Amino acid sequence: MISRRALELSTAILTGSFGVAVVVSSLDNGIGWSSAGVDAGTFPFLTGLVIALGSLYNLVRGVLPAARLANVPIALTSTELRRLAGLFVPAAIFVAAIPLLGMYLAATAYVFAVLAIPRHQSVLRSLMIAVATPLALYVVFEHMFQVTLPHGAIVAAIGL
Amino acid sequence: MDNLQELLHGFTIAVTVPHLVLMVIGVLLGILVGVLPGLGAPNGVSLLLPLTFGMQPVSAIILLSSMYWGALFGGSVTSILFNIPGEPSSVATTFDGYPMARDGRPTTALATAFGSAAFGALVGVILITFLASWVAQVALAFGPPEYFAVYFLAFASFVGMGGAAPMKTVVALAIGFAIAAIGIDTVSGSVRLTMGIDELVKGVSFVVAVMGLFGIGELLVAVEEEFHARVVSSTIDWREVFRAVARLPRHGVALLRSAAIGCWMGITPGGPTAASFMSYGIARRFSRRGRHFGTGEVEGIISPETADHAAGTSALLPMLSLGIPGSATAAVMMGGLMIWGLNPGPMLFVDSKDFVWGLIASMYVGNIVAVALVLLTVPVFAALMRIPFVIIAPLIVIICVVGAYSVSNSYLDVVLMLGFGVVGYLFKKLFYPLAPLVLAIVIGDKAEDAFRQSMLMSKGSLGIFFANRLVTSLVVAGIALLLLPLALQLTRIRRKPASSADETTSQEKVIV
Repeated sequence: MISRRALELSTAILTGSFGVAVVVSSLDNGIGWSSAGVDAGTFPFLTGLVIALGSLYNLVRGVLPAARLANVPIALTSTELRRLAGLFVPAAIFVAAIPLLGMYLAATAYVFAVLAIPRHQSVLRSLMIAVATPLALYVVFEHMFQVTLPHGAIVAAIGL
Repeated sequence: MDNLQELLHGFTIAVTVPHLVLMVIGVLLGILVGVLPGLGAPNGVSLLLPLTFGMQPVSAIILLSSMYWGALFGGSVTSILFNIPGEPSSVATTFDGYPMARDGRPTTALATAFGSAAFGALVGVILITFLASWVAQVALAFGPPEYFAVYFLAFASFVGMGGAAPMKTVVALAIGFAIAAIGIDTVSGSVRLTMGIDELVKGVSFVVAVMGLFGIGELLVAVEEEFHARVVSSTIDWREVFRAVARLPRHGVALLRSAAIGCWMGITPGGPTAASFMSYGIARRFSRRGRHFGTGEVEGIISPETADHAAGTSALLPMLSLGIPGSATAAVMMGGLMIWGLNPGPMLFVDSKDFVWGLIASMYVGNIVAVALVLLTVPVFAALMRIPFVIIAPLIVIICVVGAYSVSNSYLDVVLMLGFGVVGYLFKKLFYPLAPLVLAIVIGDKAEDAFRQSMLMSKGSLGIFFANRLVTSLVVAGIALLLLPLALQLTRIRRKPASSADETTSQEKVIV
């Protein structure tokens, strides 16, 4: 279970660290005024500062008065968390597999895995949908719109 | 009368067979993304964007804008029939639309929604017809300081009127600006904010961000709740359609009030979602039958729908005449304009008359096409909702992945897209607004350039933003909007000290 407060906190920390990273990184470009006008780093520096300070504000508001968020103490129950992971983890694995397997193989494996392994669909139907997906992708992208999708290291190694 | 002549010329461009076909395709695709949870107007339009690069700009914008109208209508279909808002802007339609449909009056609910939506859209288009070229004419005299002031006003109005927690809006906006700054700086040529990743030199495309924020993010929100598509009958009784539409004029006050709210929120930019919530809230307070809201009240459908479409349509006014999009989808379309080599802003009305008036004329026709098509296809798209979500979800993931990749054939974009998905989920869950984030990504560079050019003109003095009456009033209005939430909070504290900490916004309250 994840509380609303924990979620608010981690989001504020996430945005805040992005802000700090922007501030630090824009210092390299120089901030302030030079002969060529406003330096390249000035604008990002200011936005980074706003992000960091705003996140700090959100962080404090998220922690301090508990009464305000009391009506939604739990942001995520464990069932919801499991459902989320059930969607996101396979999707992340799919994306990670693209450089190796290529878009088509990875998509086939991904669709088949999500449909067949939790037994949402029969193996045969999962297989049909899994094969139809890359075929549709191939027709739409490589044929109709001439966009080459990545074919992957394995296919390249075989030499297709 | 010049406008009417231009408009007639626009009709000769918009009402041709190829363009009517594009409208039908666009509207159907739009209804599809509107109906499917996880796919919405912003990422539907950005998915289609790479496919329009070979087209004439006017054909491309007709296709994309028709998709927008379709998505706005499609979102209402699922709201009413399944109590599942297909679009964030149609959440408020579920409050009275679904109860009415459940009571055995689905046709009445749908026809009322579509009728008032068409009215809202019509008011929006008329406003654009008569106001857009005038605004553009005024804007022709703008220099960099005026432009920056207008951008500032636009961003400030998100903070002041967007409906989300003000500081969350500020953070979302600033993150958008920072993302826009990634890559090569157009003024000095130096590389910024790549954080050591060389491939980021090309910058982060707004399409990638939209795909993740709205696509994956919305999918994650949708998967969290078990999907109960409790179907109410989706057959259309045509006689009831005409009867329901004929009853609409009786609610003239609600229609006009909602259209006015919608247009205001679309132009200023507050966006369709905020507009529909605000309109619903105001209707509940002022309607004589306000106590019955939530049980299937007609005005409870009219108010959000009219405002939603009026806002969605009028969001194109500032995009065309000032180069500031009024909603997330308009921001994506404006990104398209820039890719097609057009320069959104007042010069469009001088350089690309055919484009502007073709688009405006197509908005009249496109909305009629959309109403007709959505009524005809309700049963088809309702049947689509019976496909289990477990099948749709991975397909949408693949569409987003391929869509992100095809922007510039880069694997990094796919990884970024997934990252944006997590951010989109967190932001949605915690009511950080996404529209200002996207807007800032699209026009961040322009706002920054305007700021730096102004600074060059004034040799570093901020006084240039108070140099003449126009720019001063714009800046002062912006500052006033920024301070509005603070002022409201202070008055609230003075009135009832006990509940002063109540920061949950109306929108949040309604959803929670």
